[in-house]
Amino acid sequence: MADFFNTYGHLIISTLFGAMLGLSIYLPLMAGQLSLASPGFYSLGGYIAAILSTQFFPRSEGTYPLHFLGVEVILSAILSGILAIALGILVLRLRGIYLAIATIAFGEIIRILALNLEITGGAVGIFGIPQPFDIPLAYLWIAIPLLILVMFLVYRLEKTNVGLALRAIQVDELAANSMGINSTKYKVLAFTLGAILAGIVGTISAHFLNTWNARQGTFDSSIIYLAFVLIGGSKTFVGPVFGGILLTALPEVLREIGNIRLIIFGILIVLGTIFFPQGFITPNLLKKWRK
Amino acid sequence: MDFSLFLQNFLNGLSIGSVYAIFALGYTLVFSILGIINFAHGAIFTLGAYFTYALAGGKFGFNGILANAQLPFQLPFVMALLLSSVLSGLVTVLLERLAFKPLRARNADPLLTLVSSLGAALVIVNLIQYLVGAEIYTFPANIYGNLPEAINFGTATKPINIRTVQIIVFGVSVIIVTCLTYLINYTKVGKALQAIAEDTTTASLLGINSERLIMITFFISGFLAGISGTLVSSSVSIAGPYFGISFGLKGLAVIVLGGLGNIPGAIGGGLLIGLAEAFVPSDYSGYKDAISFGLLFIMLLVRPQGLFGKKLIQKV
Repeated sequence: MADFFNTYGHLIISTLFGAMLGLSIYLPLMAGQLSLASPGFYSLGGYIAAILSTQFFPRSEGTYPLHFLGVEVILSAILSGILAIALGILVLRLRGIYLAIATIAFGEIIRILALNLEITGGAVGIFGIPQPFDIPLAYLWIAIPLLILVMFLVYRLEKTNVGLALRAIQVDELAANSMGINSTKYKVLAFTLGAILAGIVGTISAHFLNTWNARQGTFDSSIIYLAFVLIGGSKTFVGPVFGGILLTALPEVLREIGNIRLIIFGILIVLGTIFFPQGFITPNLLKKWRK
Repeated sequence: MDFSLFLQNFLNGLSIGSVYAIFALGYTLVFSILGIINFAHGAIFTLGAYFTYALAGGKFGFNGILANAQLPFQLPFVMALLLSSVLSGLVTVLLERLAFKPLRARNADPLLTLVSSLGAALVIVNLIQYLVGAEIYTFPANIYGNLPEAINFGTATKPINIRTVQIIVFGVSVIIVTCLTYLINYTKVGKALQAIAEDTTTASLLGINSERLIMITFFISGFLAGISGTLVSSSVSIAGPYFGISFGLKGLAVIVLGGLGNIPGAIGGGLLIGLAEAFVPSDYSGYKDAISFGLLFIMLLVRPQGLFGKKLIQKV
């Protein structure tokens, strides 16, 4: 067992982060909004952690104090939230592919700023982000409870009036509007929740990965996160969690076969969309399991 | 800014802008017919550059499984350019068959097509890396014949030097745009494409073979991606398998700026972004790539339908 965790611990923690990033795309998708802004907020959250922990907070001997990490997480959540509300009000008037492109543009602007600003370390990035734990495996104590909490919140959200309003907007926005649902408000809410989640995951990831640079949260990753949702299943929150875990693990599992693993990964994405257009996990499947 | 510098920037902007335009036309053609964005377009752009490099007799480096590979023949550059663009077109048609058609056949969510095309892009890019490695390849300086490095458009005392490659790139782009405009407006295929863009169902009822025309569209789109890949890399270099991806994103900014699915829009948007980038002061050149996305944001706020687009009213 110990061997298993030593070999795969890093991977397991990454898959849990993947699951949460899948959920961050799933949240706006609940309201039918295809947003690819998650990598941008993920990158932002990571830079907040990297800058605060290496440049502002006092360096101490031993492990990095957990309450500093807590401050970073809260700050990332607040900043991502504010930025997401501002961005959401601007871009959520747009639908479908326009929204996707606008959020890709947001991510690219964040990336170019990170590459050029001094505080983000330019192209080199920021190194030596301090570790709050003695062993990397201890990140499980953050990742597992956080994922369970987020899954629980999304599950609850789907059952409330807000969740119903989001579904109504997804099915038919005009009809939802005419039923008295303020669709803009709910769309911005879903978008902001997704952004806050991505920002928090970025903050913890920066510590976990020890280094942060502009290659985090690029365009490719936005598509990978989207694949988490669409291949996992976009009709229930279990889908993105499953997709995130599966697709984060897959390239690593395929590592055995060497250089062609990303080619195989690409082929699997194409085949997955063709043969599982609803994703692997569908609400019907979940019902069947319950019986 | 003094006038000669202005003119120099202007001509450079026009040159790169014209490549943005023909590249973006590839996106726009597919979008106008099928209402989808082919995210593998940037990968085909890269592929075109590598094809030309190989066909023109270029030798690959020692990484990848085709280490030190070289074709046994060497085509003149113009031939290599055309053949590689045709090959890019054929690869795009193949892609359409494998990654788009199965989804279209069952009326899948357009978002799935997006993911599927990205999967295809991932395959192409990594296949290139697997075969020939990730190093930078530069075309020899005299591929366009023994021309001077730059041509002086000013006077001897006030030179306005424009690189010859830039002028050729601009010229080729103008020829392509002219041919394409002719094809779409004055031929039977073009009329049929317009009919399908207007209304696919009615077009097939009128006896237009839409599947065949979709293939033609993808071929043209791939051809345009391949040729722009070659043009860009002949003026700079092939900066590795991933270099088409960022170009592909810029292409998205171009088509949104001009109006999705709008042909004059793609041309106008391309030139606008090319010119805007050319006038970025050299101190801020790191931010050059942000220009297109900044313009995109402004456009989406002020006029989401794009420069040339018509306003669509959402109907119940």
